[in-house]
Amino acid sequence: MNILVFIKQVADTEARILIKGDNRSLEIENKYNLNFFDEFAVEEAIRFKGKVKDSKISVCTYGGKKAVEALRTAIAMGADQAYLIDNTDLDTDDPLITAKILAGFAKKEGFDLILCGRQAIDDENGNIGAMVAEFLKIPHVTAITKLDVVDEKKIIVENDIEGGKETKEVQLPALLTTQKGINEPRVPLITGVMKAMKANIPVIDPVTLGLAKESLDRNASKIKILSYETPKGRPPVKIIDGETPEEKVKKLIKLLREEAKVL
Amino acid sequence: MDFSFSKEQVFFREQFTKTLNEIVAPHAATIDQEDAFPHEIFKKIGNLGYYGMRYPQEIGGMGADCTTFTIFAEELASVSISFAAIATMQCLMGTDFLFRFGNRDIKERVLIPAIRGEKIGTIAFTEPDCGSDLGAIKTRAIKKGDVYILKGRKLWITNAEVADFVTVVASVEPAKRINGLAFFLVEKGTPGFYTGQKIEKMSARGSVTGELIFDECTIPASNLLGEEGKGAQYLESILSEIRVMIAGLGIGLAKSAYRSAVMYSKQREAFGRSIGNFQLIQDKIAEMETRIRSAWLLTYYAAWLKDNGKQAKKEAAMAKLYSTETASFVVDQATRIYGSYGIAHEYPVERYFRDARFLLFGGGTSEILKTLIARECLKT
Repeated sequence: MNILVFIKQVADTEARILIKGDNRSLEIENKYNLNFFDEFAVEEAIRFKGKVKDSKISVCTYGGKKAVEALRTAIAMGADQAYLIDNTDLDTDDPLITAKILAGFAKKEGFDLILCGRQAIDDENGNIGAMVAEFLKIPHVTAITKLDVVDEKKIIVENDIEGGKETKEVQLPALLTTQKGINEPRVPLITGVMKAMKANIPVIDPVTLGLAKESLDRNASKIKILSYETPKGRPPVKIIDGETPEEKVKKLIKLLREEAKVL
Repeated sequence: MDFSFSKEQVFFREQFTKTLNEIVAPHAATIDQEDAFPHEIFKKIGNLGYYGMRYPQEIGGMGADCTTFTIFAEELASVSISFAAIATMQCLMGTDFLFRFGNRDIKERVLIPAIRGEKIGTIAFTEPDCGSDLGAIKTRAIKKGDVYILKGRKLWITNAEVADFVTVVASVEPAKRINGLAFFLVEKGTPGFYTGQKIEKMSARGSVTGELIFDECTIPASNLLGEEGKGAQYLESILSEIRVMIAGLGIGLAKSAYRSAVMYSKQREAFGRSIGNFQLIQDKIAEMETRIRSAWLLTYYAAWLKDNGKQAKKEAAMAKLYSTETASFVVDQATRIYGSYGIAHEYPVERYFRDARFLLFGGGTSEILKTLIARECLKT
């Protein structure tokens, strides 16, 4: 079986991020990681491979040259092959275009199952998986917390719903996005690290995926980022003084009523 | 000239750092506090295969070069000197002579499980009355038929009370002093092999250090590792690597202390400004960073020499000397920046301060290394 895993390299949660002068682009400290939710997808693919004979895991990302590091991490964990679809000439803000490109890759590569994280922790779009599935005209289930194999054509998945769990039977080929809790992503073995260090990762030009360049570039974007803003700084802490606790409480209640307007 | 690491080395560092942050870093303070061997962490890192990194792939290793091994040491030390002492002992000194001279049985029964983290190893050179002067080793090995009988005491032995096997340096011919030494494998449970006192110490706590006693300890002659009389020669052949590795530990520890100090200089305010604005604090920061960078250059230069098959004896000694002295300097400056907090257990800089002392002795004291460096300089 061909298992495809779509991943994304994202800024580390502790990386320093600054908004550039144009307010439309970001300067990110050189600290990147494999997206948190994608680690579950890679791990689940490895576990799936352990259950279904003759399975092969290919990981793929649409990103800059640097994203090859995230692909290597997936290989270190246990993926067999990795592909980088180079976005250098086509950097777009529109997830629809990313989904189109990834679907193009999936068609070309062939697949029985596609896994990806439920969302990327940088832009939090959370829609790539579903859109790829629509482009490929295959079923999808988002944010799964359990995956059981019935046979090579059928799986059973679980996802959380308000106040409970939902269990679904899904025909393959299908696309699933992974939620926290589905597994515990492994720490790579040194043999995996070595394999990843040496792995040859092909770089793919998106226009070779049967998609017209005009439909992929910035002009084709239906979404434009207008500006970035940092969250407003918190006002300083106000220390309430007073002779007695009673007096302090009175002042506090007054402030909660008149200033904070929460009472 | 090219001062950059290869892509592979960069990737290795990233992966290993992540692994350490997940498995070791959360327990670094506890290992130090409890001063107990961290069995679970030791096994976890072993199961991932890291103890074999210097050895060939056929026996579960990675075949890493000296540069990659130095990166390994640096990252370990930046998280925990205690665990770094344990892991580097397992990777290098504790297993190297088994790999080079052990017979098939020794390799299968002892070395391979050690690489997997299933057995703990160590090496025993030092004695109560002898450290750098190996010619003065009093532990005797006497051959009787197809066995050797070991008699003597070893002190300052890393992992002493928990080791499953130990490479012991003993004299087969005391009159020949340093040319009368040989290496032997002694396994836990061998009659006449005991662990003695534990040394309570301030640095590298958790890499439990203590005494080993050999009282008519009888081992098969096949436990002789290499040849009689060549012990010093064998040791010499890995000394440069040991020194570069310890230099890597120095960089790692110094970097952690430096990073903490820089962070604190930005946060802590005095007289209405963060203390990093004061020139005397800036002086410390500039000195720390410059010395760390110098130690870094010297250390990776020595590693590069080794990886390119060049003589690195003097450079490795200089790297070890300068890097470990730098670590001592940096932890001192860092704790001064922290003021009183620098001596509080609550902050890791206090641990860094204590741990830096550990690096000054093993692999040659600063005094011995200076003698060696000067001797090399005066040769020409």
